[in-house]
Amino acid sequence: MIKNDLRKKKYLGTAFQKKLLFLVFAAAVIPATVVALCLYYLIFNTLSIQMFFPEAIAVNVMPVLNRVNIIIAIAIPIILLIIWLIALELSHRIAGPLYRLEKELGEIIAGNKQGPIMVRRKDEFHSLAAKINKLILKR
Amino acid sequence: MKIKHQKIIVTGLTAVVIVCALLFAAFLFNSGRPPYDKSLRGVAWFRFNQQDSLDGWEEKIFNGRVLYSVKDGSGKGYLNAYSQQAASGILRWVKFNPKKHPMISWKWKVVRFPDRKPGIFTDSSWVEKDDYAARFYVIFPRFPFFRLECLEYVWDKDLPAGTVLDNANFPNLKIIVASSGDKDLGKWINVERNVFEDFRKYFGKSPGDVGAIAIMTDADNTASTAEAQYNDIEVGYDKK
Repeated sequence: MIKNDLRKKKYLGTAFQKKLLFLVFAAAVIPATVVALCLYYLIFNTLSIQMFFPEAIAVNVMPVLNRVNIIIAIAIPIILLIIWLIALELSHRIAGPLYRLEKELGEIIAGNKQGPIMVRRKDEFHSLAAKINKLILKR
Repeated sequence: MKIKHQKIIVTGLTAVVIVCALLFAAFLFNSGRPPYDKSLRGVAWFRFNQQDSLDGWEEKIFNGRVLYSVKDGSGKGYLNAYSQQAASGILRWVKFNPKKHPMISWKWKVVRFPDRKPGIFTDSSWVEKDDYAARFYVIFPRFPFFRLECLEYVWDKDLPAGTVLDNANFPNLKIIVASSGDKDLGKWINVERNVFEDFRKYFGKSPGDVGAIAIMTDADNTASTAEAQYNDIEVGYDKK
């Protein structure tokens, strides 16, 4: 197991990572968007019904609504970027070791390398890598 | 956990969610509002000739409480609205299709106008000029509710009848001066409007269903006193 981070490149460009990245991003964004939209409309709709009269809505609800819209417009791109970066990190922890496993197995099969396959401390598939290494050592 | 147990739990949770949803829907739609007098001509008729005539009307208080009370007067009751530097209104949920039944009518009488400063309409302050002795609202709800459209008919002391005021803070509100001046002060005035035609004229499109009507007499912004009376509100009938 490697303690230090030897892979600086988070985005490997593999089809698997792209799919995983999209899934993680969508799994975070879609439910959050649905909940946020429901809360947004529920709160402002309920408040408006309670106020009822247009003048009261104009003075009390609309300024708040406009301000919230501005805040949302500024915050959404930032939040999406943060979610994207987190999704990239998570996908990298799965796609990265798979990529390394595949690459090193290829080199071992080709005879270019003999030693055990290394995985980083935070990566997934430690158990799989350990079993493959046992198989390699048995040869 | 066995698959059978999982199925039981999922089924149970689904049943609980469905029952809760049905109860919530029943709560939403069963407002418990008392029925209104069936109009001879249309959907509803509010005569204010009994002490419980305000049952079913909801009050919304904004800045102090206007006194809305049913009074008896020479054989015919009426709704009296007295505002002492206050602003609150009463509303009644009543639904009808203005395309089929476009007419509404009511009677109102102004006893006292709010005291506005001279030249108030040259002032850019919308808040201060927003006091009327008598207002009648026709609400066209939309979802979300803050996108509602509204025709507000007012009796104004200064502006000529037919004047339409737009509200910059709320473009979906059209304030229409239906009665004007103080020459009819203390007299009952009958107002009849075709809300379908009014909506088309001022919004440039056909209206959806009317969802509610409301009344307000206010004098909070001018810090004065206003009083008006209302009666014989009839909504949702056909033009003769």
